Amino acid sequence: MNSPYRRNKGVNEALAERMPVATGTDTETFAALYERTFPRVYAYVASLLRDRSAAEDVTAQAFERAYRRRATYRKRRGSHEAWLFGIARNAALDELRRRKRRARLEAEPEDTGALGADDHADLALRREAVRAAMTALDGRERDLIALKFSAGLSNSEIAKVLELSETAVGTRLHRTLTKLRKACHE
Amino acid sequence: MSDDTATIERDLAAVETALASGAATHEDPLARELQELALQLRADPPRAEPSFAEELHARMEAGFPAAADSPRGRAEAARARQQAALKRLSAPGGGRGFARRYLLPVAGVGVPLALIVGLIFAVGGPSGPSGGDDDAGGGGVAASDSAGDSGGGRGERTQGQTLSALPRESARAGDKATAAPDTAVVPLEPVPRDGNFAPGQANRKIERSFSLELDVPLDDMARVADQVTAVTNRHGGFVLNSSVNSGREDGGGDFSLRIPSDRLRPALRDLAELAPVIRQSQEGRDVTRQHVTAKDRLQAARAERRSLLRRLEEATTDQEAEAIRQQLDLVAGEINGLRAQLRDLRLRTDYAVVNVSLLVAGGHDDNGGVGGSFDDAVDDAGGLLVGFAGVLIRVMALAVPLALIALAAWLGTRGLRRRRRESALA
Repeated sequence: MNSPYRRNKGVNEALAERMPVATGTDTETFAALYERTFPRVYAYVASLLRDRSAAEDVTAQAFERAYRRRATYRKRRGSHEAWLFGIARNAALDELRRRKRRARLEAEPEDTGALGADDHADLALRREAVRAAMTALDGRERDLIALKFSAGLSNSEIAKVLELSETAVGTRLHRTLTKLRKACHE
Repeated sequence: MSDDTATIERDLAAVETALASGAATHEDPLARELQELALQLRADPPRAEPSFAEELHARMEAGFPAAADSPRGRAEAARARQQAALKRLSAPGGGRGFARRYLLPVAGVGVPLALIVGLIFAVGGPSGPSGGDDDAGGGGVAASDSAGDSGGGRGERTQGQTLSALPRESARAGDKATAAPDTAVVPLEPVPRDGNFAPGQANRKIERSFSLELDVPLDDMARVADQVTAVTNRHGGFVLNSSVNSGREDGGGDFSLRIPSDRLRPALRDLAELAPVIRQSQEGRDVTRQHVTAKDRLQAARAERRSLLRRLEEATTDQEAEAIRQQLDLVAGEINGLRAQLRDLRLRTDYAVVNVSLLVAGGHDDNGGVGGSFDDAVDDAGGLLVGFAGVLIRVMALAVPLALIALAAWLGTRGLRRRRRESALA
């Protein structure tokens, strides 16, 4: 009753007795997982969908699904993050399929990092080159890049999400990075 | 190949190092380039709008509430009401409503389920493994006891009860019944009724035979054998043949009795009182047609003989008289044969065949029973386990294929769904 997550918002009757927001383990709560992963989940989904509005919807949907299914989490499925990103990935793929079209990034994500005047031009050039190179990748390769660099997952966690071996993930990642590097030079 | 693997491992390690340190410092230019690329990819992630982040955070803290008019919102509201009701019921005085609301439905489902399971056990359970063995011992006695309840005391395993209903059954002409250990006395279909004889007619001629198996302690074998003879004599019957052995290894006895049909009922009752009946059977055969046919033929033969005798008196020549005498001899032979046939039929219908077997008590108890010994208990437990295994196998025979089909369907659906999802990336 004194749980920090048992709050009565007065939204409706169903919320009068809110359960603790736990992920199924005693050590970690869903709220902590949310705090830790929200930016990365959004970044991953947005990278995959390339649509800010859709990314927001899918991110919210992913966290909501994870919240509803938090009791189904099992350690053998990997870390909490791998489990959560698996849900987010499925939601994003469902969204992609639903729309039946390749998502297009409507607006470039804003870079909130403060850059010096001298650095700005050089970084912008390199960023543009990478973005252009990313278009040379197919969906699966972009998914892999997003899981690795936007979601920040380790190779073993990616292996859990994609249901591949860690070695296969490493090989694919290397191949994709090499392809991306070559595309940057073209 | 190994060079490629080494290169991949080196490059991946370089990428991980760069991601961890935030700097591209690898001495190999290609690896360093990959490090820079990795840092670039990580340094430029899409960022959520602060307003969206705040809104989602608030929803998360509220437990992702659904809109009140959405299906999930309604379900949540119902669940909350249910929880509130449970909370009220947990308070003092709420138990009656709880019982009415929850225990009754549970009992309504559970009790029939338990009955079905019990029925399965009763039908296919303990009797299953020994069901096909008609030579069972104790169980048969119990069944026979129940059959005998209609004529004697109820619920007691007393001698003579078993067959108290037998004469009544046998009174029906043409009945054939067998009382195996697992079955009560069941009259079989009457024999075909042809000829001019209505069922139940008083002058019907029925040939009856009965078999009894009595459970006799070895020490009591001689006494019971004497009693069998005494009962037979008392009711005007006779012992056609008998054999009694009181040895410990092959103890037992067999009697073939002939008992007057009109004394059959009390005689059988007396025989059944000598020892518990293990098994009984009865058989009836309607021989009225043969009897009447023989009787008619006898009358006709006698009439012919009278006619021949008259013709013999009136014969005028020796040759004629000789021919008539020869015919008379033939008719006389026929009459004698028919008389013998009628005598035989009368003997068979006036006297019932009763075969009595004396079996040593306990020697037939291999198939379970109501004995209270440790062996009996072990046998019963074994039978129960075998019965349970039988039920389990039947259930498994249905459940395993269904489970395999369900598993295959689940795996197929899962793979298909995954493939469809992945197709979005193709």
